[in-house]
Amino acid sequence: MTDNKKLDELQKTIKKNQKEIKELKSQLEEVNDKYLRSLADFQNFQKRTEKEVICREENTKRALILELIDVYELLKEASEDKNPKEGLKILINNIEKFLEKENIKPIDCVGQKFDHNLHNAITTVEKNDCDENMVIEEVKKGYIVNDKLLRPSDVIVSKKKD
Amino acid sequence: MSKIIGIDLGTTNSEVAVVEAGKPTIIKSAEGQPYFPSVVAFTKDGEMLVGEAAKRQAVTNPDGTFHRIKRKMGKGEKVKIRGKEYTPEQISAFILQKIKKDAEDFLGEKVKDAVITVPAYFNDDQRQATKDAGKIAGLNVKRIINEPTAASLAYGLDKEGDHKIAVYDFGGGTFDITLMEVGDGVFEVLSTNGDTELGGSDMDQALVEYLVDEFKKKEGVDLSKDAKALQRLTEAAEKAKMELSSTLQTDINLPYLTVVDNEPKHVELKLNRAKLEEIIGVFIDKTEKPCKQALKDAKLKPEDIDHVVLVGGTTRIPLVKKKVEEIFGKTPKRDVDPMECVAVGAAIQAGVLSGDIEKDIVLLDVTPLSLAIETLGGVATQLIERNTTVPTKKSKVFSTAADNQTSVEINVLQGERPMASDNKSLGRFHLDGILPAPRGIPQIEVKFDIDTDGILNVSAKDLGTGKEQSIRITGSTKLSDEEITRMKKEADEHAEEDKKRKEKVEIRNNGDALTVSAKKMVDELKDKISKDDKEKIEKGIKELQTALSGDVTDKIKKKTDELSEILQKTSTQIYQQAAQQAQQQQTGGASKQDESSWQGHPSSDDDKTINADYKVKKDKQDKDKN
Repeated sequence: MTDNKKLDELQKTIKKNQKEIKELKSQLEEVNDKYLRSLADFQNFQKRTEKEVICREENTKRALILELIDVYELLKEASEDKNPKEGLKILINNIEKFLEKENIKPIDCVGQKFDHNLHNAITTVEKNDCDENMVIEEVKKGYIVNDKLLRPSDVIVSKKKD
Repeated sequence: MSKIIGIDLGTTNSEVAVVEAGKPTIIKSAEGQPYFPSVVAFTKDGEMLVGEAAKRQAVTNPDGTFHRIKRKMGKGEKVKIRGKEYTPEQISAFILQKIKKDAEDFLGEKVKDAVITVPAYFNDDQRQATKDAGKIAGLNVKRIINEPTAASLAYGLDKEGDHKIAVYDFGGGTFDITLMEVGDGVFEVLSTNGDTELGGSDMDQALVEYLVDEFKKKEGVDLSKDAKALQRLTEAAEKAKMELSSTLQTDINLPYLTVVDNEPKHVELKLNRAKLEEIIGVFIDKTEKPCKQALKDAKLKPEDIDHVVLVGGTTRIPLVKKKVEEIFGKTPKRDVDPMECVAVGAAIQAGVLSGDIEKDIVLLDVTPLSLAIETLGGVATQLIERNTTVPTKKSKVFSTAADNQTSVEINVLQGERPMASDNKSLGRFHLDGILPAPRGIPQIEVKFDIDTDGILNVSAKDLGTGKEQSIRITGSTKLSDEEITRMKKEADEHAEEDKKRKEKVEIRNNGDALTVSAKKMVDELKDKISKDDKEKIEKGIKELQTALSGDVTDKIKKKTDELSEILQKTSTQIYQQAAQQAQQQQTGGASKQDESSWQGHPSSDDDKTINADYKVKKDKQDKDKN
């Protein structure tokens, strides 16, 4: 009697386990499929994002090229002009307006203390009539865009005679 | 596990990369550059600078600035600065700290571990010193690997079985050649050689000297002491050198380079590749001897080398590539950026160690060709684009093409051509039992679902009745390479003519659709349309239908445009009438609500809704005035 009972119980347990295994298997399959699908989704998303970035870069580039073309066209006209000063003045003004709009600011440097955050020293010159480490000449103008360095000013810096 | 970064700790510049989502990515510095100048400085004010900032102030602070500290690594020397002594390890650690910090900012998480590369000729002391530098910087150096090994890893050369590799590394300031043997993913250095005082900057210098000479010949002015002019010439020389790697001729134009006797002097000069090669050739020739020596030391002949890998920016110069081909007798590999490949290789090694690479090795298939269904006029309408990673699902809602159509055929297509008949049909089925309705009304959702095994399930469901049909297509991703190539090639070859054919069908479809909507409009708005307009529209429909029964696309297009214009004029009038009525009903004149309701309507006699909107408003204002 007891043996039969035991057998019954064991069979019940086996059935229960088998059911559980089946359930878990199908769950695993489902989860695995979900995982693979999200992985694939991610990869497809990556591909799309890459395309979008390229597209956006191209658009930005186009916008800038168009600005440059305008300047080019006007410069060509100025070069034909006998007295181009007036026209050039307006053109420069236009470019300055554009830079202002884009929040691009020139860096002041001559007469200031050399600042490695904004200036790039290309050489030093011995000078005794001013303090050491002062910017005495600007070789190329530097610019800041949105408070970040676009390019440093290339400068010549004073040095005391040894 | 956190990310492990790969660092190419270089003599003049360092680079860092990391594996993200299975792909190596170069990390930019906080200054936005893909590299970090290996320069450390201590200013008079006691501030420590690393990278760009240190480089910018170097000439003002020669005693307080360290360049090329890598050369002193592991040699027991110490350097003294502003009364304080430092070991080269400490100085290198400052560079690594900056790299670590910027990498953390980039990744948005703490970085603890790194793989760092060293030249193949570094001895144990130098390697240990590099490891110590990492430790001082707070990095746990998981592995030190050779630079040429890293470069080979970037090219995946560890996976190609037993072979011999030559890594030709020509940077800004040094030249290294390393011969290696790889087998079972293990790299063994056979020999190394090089020249520590040879690099791209020598070439720039020679080019500047040439430009100075040319200017002197032409203008009689010596620019070699003019710092400002020299700076511009140096920049222009570097640019010209790079440009001549891809073009045969370039212009060096430097307006207002200097002023002589109150007169501005400009440089306008053409430089061709042959001239450049004449100037820099001597430096490139110098790399031959070390290569020959390395071959001799490894007891190898050039033909024993299976792959040549190029590293360093200078290898972008075509003459360098030619020289390498001449020495080793084979075309070198260079599809990985030669400036970045060492850091990329280090990152790959790091990715293997952190499991970032293996983890993503669940290799998912992509659809080799686009999948589409056939729609009105024999057009292939894509649902899944080529190169989409599977498993994936996409659905689109379609409708019927004729009135009272009760069945649709779903023809599943594979290929890149815009017309259905030019693509491969994978299978077709019908969905019946659609309720009789005017064309365009029933909504049939077509769903494509490809599972990991490439089995494609296509189902079509009538959203109105809930009726569904489906088909199962096996092997949609398993095409032979030849078949894929052939189909892509065909698509490219026929691109122009396919476009025309598709346009033709589209024009026909548009015309067809317009007759239907025009009829509908006349029917629905018969009280509002004047008799005159009604006649015009009906005439337009008739003419378009006649055109559609023929096969002259231009005529269909012309008649479609004509009818479309008549319809737009009529609808504008109707909307204007409605606006007037609304106006009269409202006492307060045009309110906000009024405007927004206008914006929602389809456009009138112009392509842009906005234009029509403005016109209407103006009209209203004019009416107000009256």
